[in-house]
Amino acid sequence: MILLLAALLAAAEPAGAQLFADANAAYLSGDVSRATAAYEALVSEGVASTELETNLGAAYLRQGKRGLAVLHFERALFLQPGDDDASADLVEVRRGNVDRLEGDADEAGAETVARLLTPLPGTAAAAILAVLWPAAWVLFGLRLLRGGPRWAVVAAAGCFGGALLFALLTWGAAAGRDMAMRRGVVVAQAVPAREGPAEKSLSRFEVHEGTTVSVDDEEAGFRRVKLANGLTGWVPAGTVELVVPPGWAGRPVLTGSARAVQP
Amino acid sequence: MIPKRTGNALRLALLVALPALASAGWKGISAGEVELSATADASEVALDGTLTLRIAVTYASKADTGNLEVPTFADFDVVSRSQSEQVTFTLSNSTPSFRRTVITSLALTPRRAGDLTIEPVKLEFRGQRFQTEPIQVRVVPAGQALRRRPPGPDRLADDRLGESLDPFADLHPGQRDLILRAMVDNERPFVGQQVTYSLYLLARTNVSSIEKLQIPRLDGFWSEDVEAPQQLVPEQRILDGVPYTAYLLRRRALFPLRPGKAAIEPAEVQVLTGFGMLFSRESSRRSSQALQLEVQPLPPGKPAGFDFGNVGQWTLSASAEPSNAPVGQPITFRMVASGRGNVRDLRLPRLPVLSGVRAYDATVSDKETIERGQINGTRTVEQLLVPERTGAVEIPSLAMDIFDPVQKQFRTVRTDPIALRVDAGPVGQPAAEPISQNLLAKGGIRPIRLHLGSVQRATPPWAQPWFWPALGLPPFGLALLLGIARLRRMLQVDPGRKRMELARSAAAKRLRRARALLQRGESVAFYAEIVRAVTGYLADKQGIAAAGLTRDELVSALLARGQPEEPVRRLVRILDDCDRARFAPGSGESPAREAMLGRTDQVLGELDRGTR
Repeated sequence: MILLLAALLAAAEPAGAQLFADANAAYLSGDVSRATAAYEALVSEGVASTELETNLGAAYLRQGKRGLAVLHFERALFLQPGDDDASADLVEVRRGNVDRLEGDADEAGAETVARLLTPLPGTAAAAILAVLWPAAWVLFGLRLLRGGPRWAVVAAAGCFGGALLFALLTWGAAAGRDMAMRRGVVVAQAVPAREGPAEKSLSRFEVHEGTTVSVDDEEAGFRRVKLANGLTGWVPAGTVELVVPPGWAGRPVLTGSARAVQP
Repeated sequence: MIPKRTGNALRLALLVALPALASAGWKGISAGEVELSATADASEVALDGTLTLRIAVTYASKADTGNLEVPTFADFDVVSRSQSEQVTFTLSNSTPSFRRTVITSLALTPRRAGDLTIEPVKLEFRGQRFQTEPIQVRVVPAGQALRRRPPGPDRLADDRLGESLDPFADLHPGQRDLILRAMVDNERPFVGQQVTYSLYLLARTNVSSIEKLQIPRLDGFWSEDVEAPQQLVPEQRILDGVPYTAYLLRRRALFPLRPGKAAIEPAEVQVLTGFGMLFSRESSRRSSQALQLEVQPLPPGKPAGFDFGNVGQWTLSASAEPSNAPVGQPITFRMVASGRGNVRDLRLPRLPVLSGVRAYDATVSDKETIERGQINGTRTVEQLLVPERTGAVEIPSLAMDIFDPVQKQFRTVRTDPIALRVDAGPVGQPAAEPISQNLLAKGGIRPIRLHLGSVQRATPPWAQPWFWPALGLPPFGLALLLGIARLRRMLQVDPGRKRMELARSAAAKRLRRARALLQRGESVAFYAEIVRAVTGYLADKQGIAAAGLTRDELVSALLARGQPEEPVRRLVRILDDCDRARFAPGSGESPAREAMLGRTDQVLGELDRGTR
């Protein structure tokens, strides 16, 4: 029995726990490069974890790589939208961001909305919707076809009302997820944003590492990014990392992508 | 290039190898700046034999030299005395380290048999006095062979004195005049245990200088220079009765990283031999032999959570200063692990969360030293603690599991608990200034997480291709059911109703058949067919079985069904006419029969309209 319990406990231990512990030990002993390498090894093995992303963000920040730090804190928040540590760390990092946006009052609401919508229990709402909606139609059909009892009408109305409410929740979560899927972080120290997807295009402004953008389009090795204040430009694809990497949340895995993981 | 030392170095007369030093023992002291040791090459000697007392003084500075006091030797006679000096310069952790070792060798002969004592050697250095422990030697009667411990793996594992082992015990040079010899002091170390790798050049000719030295790659080991002599220091060795001069070229400490067989490739050296600038100078190249190590895994019984880097002889201590502090004023917590082993791979315990105390990121500093060929180290972890409330705070005892390769067992070393007293700060005094660690660039972020969780961040249901079509299924299904029900209702036919609906057409059909009979001249059959058309119509459409009724009953039944009286009368007349014609053949002409057909069709049409 004890052996069985031990085996169950061992099986319950998440994959890569030992490497994670080694990385933490390296981080705590000041060997941040080693810690970062071990954390990245876990990421490349497909481990998707809030703790891993938070620690990796902290390690990058201690190495002075602000863009990558923001990226991994954002990923931690995508995995666990309410994570307190990742939120606090992200706020700390952003205090030191080079880019200060002006006139972002109109557009900053988009991120606020996304932050509000993303934590919505979309999956649960969708599941409840998937139950209430057919139930409402079944009750309605009973009444219609078989002349069922009067309470069937009341129950059908209740189910329709509930289904509407949860449909709204599902829609909100879907909208938040859609925004999150388009979110990216500038990881290059500084990069000019151009009018078109070409090096020869006129540069309209410059963005710096750690700035969060919305990736609206992609073409010819460039990404069209939109800042929170509405400024839009094309930057080389490698300078902006998507918060939701290929392999996460149904995003297709790109051939040859070093970060192509499947949680 | 390592130039040959030509100064006042006296040849050190080490007569024999020193395999029994562990039992004879080395007795030494260390005070950081200076190390003093005295070793005898045997624990047992014959009355007519000699033993060598080797006194080594290592200084950490170039200039100062202490005053060495050699004992008067009550039980021994000094038959020879020699002195040599070697200087090493190493870089450890980018920190230069200078060491100068003065070796005094004394050849002693005992005056009597029995258990004798070599008195302590004394040293006065910078006003401080040091001395070694006395060394016990057993003297047997003349002519008896010396009892020396046989070499073997266990002894190799136990002996940690790199210099005390004879690297040439199994070497038979033959006619060779230049030999490069590599050796390790332990061929079966544990993972993480230090192995000392030494490289010697043995020469029968004069060695002018070392032109090139190629140390092998040491894959599978973490390595550190122990000695890298800048000058060639000669030592005399007798190999198979032939005198050789031995030069230590390099000594490195190796820490095996994984268990199993580990190979050390041969080293190579380019040597310039001959005298001066003109006399037969020659460049020669030599390779050492390869070495094989059997690295042992740590034995069973590993404590839970044991870190494989914690191999060595370590001690752990902790302190906190000040122990009394007002709220908001920082307290420095310091934890120190020191001892023998690879400090770089050491994992120290972590300070737990203390209630009411804010802890900042720890800073770690390592310091390595080399003592008698062994890598020693000290890791210091400093952490700033800022108390946030008054009262007593205790920093609990912190424990670290280690594996002691000498004792071959796991041990746990612990710090003592530390009691802190936090008082209220003076009124009006601001709290401690924000320290640099709280700045963003210096790690003003939250502590990392220690436990790995996993998240299944799969595609949400609403993003699945089946989700929205599945929601469309219920209304579609209901609509489908309604449609099917309606269709079924449409397709459902009542035979009575069908008969009723088809009554008029059935009557018309019979009338057409009657017309055919009329054309064939079959008058009886013609009238019978007309009667069947009428009675069939009445049965199907009106539900009246005319055959069992009188004409009056038939009229009454039809009138009761709301039929107008005129068509009913004419229908009865048609039936009467048909009966008369059937039972009185020959009556009725062809035009009258045609008219009968028309009348019948007309009456049935009127009754049909009356029924609707």
